[in-house]
Amino acid sequence: MLKNHYIQRFLKGWKIFIQNPLGKMGVVILVVFMLMALASFFVPHINPMYDPMTGIDPDIKISTGPSLTHLLGTDNVGRDLFAQLLEGAKVAFIVGLSSAFFSIVIGTVIGMVSGYAGGMVDTILMRMADIIMVMPSLVILLILSSLFGQFNIWIIVFIIAIMRWPAVSRVIRSQTLSLKHRPFIEASRVAGASHLRIIFRHIMPNVLPLAFLYMTFRVTSAILVEAALSFLGFGDPSQVSWGMMLQWVWKSGHMFQAPYWLIPPGVSISLLTLSFYMLGRAMDEVLDPRLRKEGQS
Amino acid sequence: MRNQTYILGKLVEITIIFFVIMTALFFLFRLSPGDPISKVADPMLTPEDMRYIIEQMGLDKPIWEQYVIYLKNFFTGNFGVSFHYGEPVFKIIRERLGWTVLLFTSSTILAAFAGVFLGKIAAWNKGSRLDNVLSISALVCYTLFIPWFALLLLWVFGFKLGLFPLGGILSPELWVGNASWFVRMLDILHHMLLPLMTLFVIHLGSYLLLMRSSMLSVLREDYIITARAKGLSERVIRNKHAAKNAALPVVTSVGLSLAFSINGGALTEQIFTWPGIGRELIFAVSNNDYPLAQACFLLIALVVCWPIWLWIFSMPIWIRGLPIEPQGMVLE
Repeated sequence: MLKNHYIQRFLKGWKIFIQNPLGKMGVVILVVFMLMALASFFVPHINPMYDPMTGIDPDIKISTGPSLTHLLGTDNVGRDLFAQLLEGAKVAFIVGLSSAFFSIVIGTVIGMVSGYAGGMVDTILMRMADIIMVMPSLVILLILSSLFGQFNIWIIVFIIAIMRWPAVSRVIRSQTLSLKHRPFIEASRVAGASHLRIIFRHIMPNVLPLAFLYMTFRVTSAILVEAALSFLGFGDPSQVSWGMMLQWVWKSGHMFQAPYWLIPPGVSISLLTLSFYMLGRAMDEVLDPRLRKEGQS
Repeated sequence: MRNQTYILGKLVEITIIFFVIMTALFFLFRLSPGDPISKVADPMLTPEDMRYIIEQMGLDKPIWEQYVIYLKNFFTGNFGVSFHYGEPVFKIIRERLGWTVLLFTSSTILAAFAGVFLGKIAAWNKGSRLDNVLSISALVCYTLFIPWFALLLLWVFGFKLGLFPLGGILSPELWVGNASWFVRMLDILHHMLLPLMTLFVIHLGSYLLLMRSSMLSVLREDYIITARAKGLSERVIRNKHAAKNAALPVVTSVGLSLAFSINGGALTEQIFTWPGIGRELIFAVSNNDYPLAQACFLLIALVVCWPIWLWIFSMPIWIRGLPIEPQGMVLE
């Protein structure tokens, strides 16, 4: 019965969502990149020279332009650029989604606790959020990686998540504040529910849609930060991300000679982040009926 | 009175924030793996110089005493000596700061004005083709990958068309020759145009979108209807009544989005070899020049607190006594 209700709510939301041109465009681009990310698992099995990191075409010694065997050409040691692009899509999804997920989890929990508890706890948590919010995450990552050496991709993901929760927690906190004094919360308190139960059983379902909305924006910024870090040469050296590809084209001095190498990764980064952003905007309309009416008039 | 206590509270807050950042940085540098002395003194130094620095920085003392010395050094402007340049860090930073400020302020101001103007037009013609074109291009600007866009500009305008130099701030012949200041200025401007364009485009998107959404919400206010009822012309309503109020969140967001701008600024400086703080930071980090990296970072921390300062001092002027909460950035 309850499940049915959620499904119905989802379907109703989905209908509004897909009617939005931004949402439609976002979904289409996203599906294309998902297919690319999936393809990256199969490509090395076609021919070992299509392995994005170690596969080298034995006939090629310099960077060559697009051809039939190499759809986007090769880099300066003979690795296939298309295979790297596919692998980059996979890495971007991993980085974007997982760090957005972590930051949403941290931000939601802190926001709910802060809003629900109020008082000193609220002040301390929100001041902490303020400090972290104004810090430029790329600069922090640079300093940390110079002190601790090159980071593994998961550590990068985690640091981005830690740098990015404050904005989420602010939104969740204000939502929690408005929920806190609603009758149903007071009723459950009278019924003897513990604080933890109220937070996670009664408040959380009401703030989760908002958290998901913010997740799409977090994905965007996480992908951009990871790409920038890799571009500057501080990324995980064992991963082929789009930022890494740009770092290679820049460092090997091919940026003026090889447009087929320079253009695809950048376009991919922009398109993928754009699609997540569009999803967020469309979701915003599902969650905020005020916006919707305005959009239709 | 209310404003004064508010401002005082904010000032205390900034001071605390800055101390937290400084302390965190101190412990990060001391507790990270590796020899702590190598983080402060150049490992290439002779033993005598090394001993001098160790004494000066108090590295042979317990950690809380080191912390006191660190704070004292900070307030007297003694950030140590850069490993790479062999010069006091303070001097290097002072030289670089002007260039960053020049690039940063000019691009931010230009982008804010253009964003407010275009956002106003987009919101006013909501739903029209013009609005769609402006909004979509603003979205694209907003999600552009900065270094890639910079490289693309460099490739097209610098390399293919040969219109602009590929980097630096001044042509080499002007460094040595005795050219007049006017020629030098023009040359700097010529060098600045591409990085300026990069930062301008990147910032324009977010300002435009913010102005558009803020203007749309202002246009729903009752006083706009009143203005119409009074029979004011549409132009006066748009420019005087709506846009002025709608621009306020954009002004505050210029400050609040500074963290985002600093990331972008560092990347842009790096690509156009613009000798600013951001590039120096990346250079210091890549070469393990710890004193320089630390000082650059502290400066950036000071700067990210700075918009709050600006905001505090200009707030009473703008709003004449109305305590407002900073509008949360719509974008990020």
